[in-house]
Amino acid sequence: MKAYLIKRFFLIIPTFLGITLITFLIIQLAPGNPVSLKIQQLGGEGIKTETVSREVIEQTKKLYGLDKPFHVQYLLWLKRLVTLDFGESYKDHRPVWTKVKEALPVTLLLNLISIFLIYLISVPIGVFSAVYPESRLDRVLTLILFFLYSLPSFWVAMILIIYLGGGEYLDLFPVVGIISADSGQLPLWGKVINVLWHLVLPVTVLTYGGFAFLSRLSRAQLLEVIRQDYIRTARAKGLPERVVIFKHALRNSLIPLITLMGTLLPALIGGSVIVEQIFSIPGMGRLGFEAVLSRDYPTVMAIAAIEALLTLISLLISDLIYVVVDPRISFERA
Amino acid sequence: MRLLFPISGIFLILAACGSQAPKDSETLVWHLGAEPDILNPIISTDAYASRIEEFVYDTLIERDNRTLEWKPKMAERWEISPDRRRFTFYLRDGIRWQDGKPVTVEDVIYSFQRIMDPKVDAPHLRVYYQDIEKVEKVDEHTVRFTYRHPYFMALGFCGGIPILPRHLFDDGGDFNKHPLNRTPLGNGPYRFVSWETGQKIVLERNEDYWGRAIGRMPAIRRIRFEIIPEDTVALQILKKGGLDFAGLRPIQWVRQTDSGRFNRRFGKYQFYPPGYSFIGWNMRRPYFSDKRVRRAMTMLVNRGEILKKLNFDLGRIVTGPFYIESKDYNHEVRPIPFDPEGAKRLLKEAGWEDHDGDGLLDREGIPFRFEFLIASGRRFAERLASILKEDLKKVGIEMEIRQLEWALFVKHLDDRKFDAVTLSWVFGFEQDPYQVWHSSQTEKGSNFVGFADPEADRIIMEGRREFDRERRAALYRRFHAIVDEEQPYTFLFSNPYLVALDRRFENVNVYPGGMDPLEWRVTRMEGE
Repeated sequence: MKAYLIKRFFLIIPTFLGITLITFLIIQLAPGNPVSLKIQQLGGEGIKTETVSREVIEQTKKLYGLDKPFHVQYLLWLKRLVTLDFGESYKDHRPVWTKVKEALPVTLLLNLISIFLIYLISVPIGVFSAVYPESRLDRVLTLILFFLYSLPSFWVAMILIIYLGGGEYLDLFPVVGIISADSGQLPLWGKVINVLWHLVLPVTVLTYGGFAFLSRLSRAQLLEVIRQDYIRTARAKGLPERVVIFKHALRNSLIPLITLMGTLLPALIGGSVIVEQIFSIPGMGRLGFEAVLSRDYPTVMAIAAIEALLTLISLLISDLIYVVVDPRISFERA
Repeated sequence: MRLLFPISGIFLILAACGSQAPKDSETLVWHLGAEPDILNPIISTDAYASRIEEFVYDTLIERDNRTLEWKPKMAERWEISPDRRRFTFYLRDGIRWQDGKPVTVEDVIYSFQRIMDPKVDAPHLRVYYQDIEKVEKVDEHTVRFTYRHPYFMALGFCGGIPILPRHLFDDGGDFNKHPLNRTPLGNGPYRFVSWETGQKIVLERNEDYWGRAIGRMPAIRRIRFEIIPEDTVALQILKKGGLDFAGLRPIQWVRQTDSGRFNRRFGKYQFYPPGYSFIGWNMRRPYFSDKRVRRAMTMLVNRGEILKKLNFDLGRIVTGPFYIESKDYNHEVRPIPFDPEGAKRLLKEAGWEDHDGDGLLDREGIPFRFEFLIASGRRFAERLASILKEDLKKVGIEMEIRQLEWALFVKHLDDRKFDAVTLSWVFGFEQDPYQVWHSSQTEKGSNFVGFADPEADRIIMEGRREFDRERRAALYRRFHAIVDEEQPYTFLFSNPYLVALDRRFENVNVYPGGMDPLEWRVTRMEGE
């Protein structure tokens, strides 16, 4: 086990380097660059002659460190990374790390709540459907879940905002940001409630589409387990159905769901561009999206690197959880 | 879903008992569609930033709302030397930075030096200031800019230069990373209060504003800019009372804000900022090198109908590259009407006919098939392209639509890799056609369609040295006629800026170029 862990851990390093190198390459190869975008932005009137702009372009490339050869740029980036320095954003010259730290808490909060809700709701639905497979209720539930699954989130978000967000119809929920402008005077619990109140609509939009996948997965898993011999044995022993399902079947069927949790780590910080854009939430999704559009290389690289690392770590965690929850799996012989 | 609602019911009750404070009627709440990158007028490149910076940083001179001519601001007067190369500005007495230190000539010179400093991230400004030979201090209150050659826009560039407090910025640190870039300290009518990333920026009135002495103190106490990227959501918040001032899209202006309730609460205003949309024909392509073909293409763009369908008739058809509200614009040039038959005749004259009977025009065996480049995410361009595609198909021209993300789109323009393209130009109240229309700009500059005309070149160069407003306007009206004759662009529309403003503000005027919040006042409520 220990040897395996060490091996895996050391495999992470070259994989991580490979991922970042390729990302670095792709960003630089993508057409459009931050310098020309910057100059183009105010491309209106003026005495801009060709030679002059070229000189200014060269100066700006140098300022951004884009005048050096590609491999030098990458090595410099790596060198800074060792000290957790992601460089400064081209857009506002603030350290990228500061920007990520600003955007991360909101996204984490949103994703934690919605992922928790998705699990909380879909697993019981899946169990229910598996216990009464092909019953009328199972079919209705499946239909509803797939109906929700197929609704585009930007549309649902807009409908919720228009009908529940004030203006002409019901004014139940705030639709902008995560806390009210005047929340400064509120006590702590008031602030917490204010934030939760703001989160109702975004969390709804993030959640409803996720039920289908998980509940179908848990249904399929449980169905498979129920067909196993040991379940028949349990029933033959005369155990009550409740004990058979919840003690013997469910536990075993949850293994893939638990390991799935490992992969949630990168998803947690990923953020949703659509939800963040529509509900004016300054989270990771918007940060990354805007950075890509303005070719803000340092920000794009930072987000890519963080995501890559988290993905690698969570893959490792998933594998470890396998061992913990399923004694049949062992890495000793591998 | 079902689980959620009971929970939210609890929130509602709790929220109702404490979260909504009464609205502050003295604060103007302003909608911003995106967050500014940075609040340093030398570094920032987006319109959102300059909107806010204008309240915090004053300039030497400004444009008069009504006449759009220059008038004094921080400079009480200015002089232009007889050779039109030296511009001397006389600073008013008693102008102070918001920390109490006086604004000096050194601040002006320092700001100019930062713009020219290669270590400062201001390439977009630097290209405009390349022709300044020097900026010097004449005496404590006088600063002089010297140009390499006479240029009519020089007064605006010198007088409009962003001015930053040297005593705070010049601290040996990196200018690009200076803390004041996020918490600006200026000399203007408002001071910066706070900026919550991605959410809001708050300004409050500068009670020590130098303008008080000459009766230019703004009446509004606070301005809060709310950042809401989705305009549908912004309109919703506006209706709810969470915003006072917001831009509207044409469909919102016509269909979603026509209720009596809305109009009792908000005034709707429109004005035409300088700018226009167009279709550019790449004149290097064999299809569009012939001006008869370009004219025929314009005849095939049903501008009246497109304006009605896509913009609810909000906008004006333009025929040339100048600001429609200015003297430079030639109103004698009439728009070429939609005329498919006439277009067919012109195309036939140019050799484009359906020789092989496949329903497609061809010339020397080459079918008339071209690519129309549009930037993705631009609703107007997308819909324009599909209408155009249909209309062209009817006369036997096949147009393929190519949609590219903005950065890639710009790259294609720079490399001249396109047949036809649609885009908009946005510019200042006065405009120098050099960058877009001079033949020297066809290789690398903004003249991406490749327009080159000796008379037009001559007019452009003459115009740049002409300081007399009327004579320059006469030159430009002639230039406008040449462009109309050549049809390098099919000029489309100048679109109005549409806004809604809460009626509790009074003294609201609409000028040719916009509105001036500095003159707005809050109506006193009864009992106050």
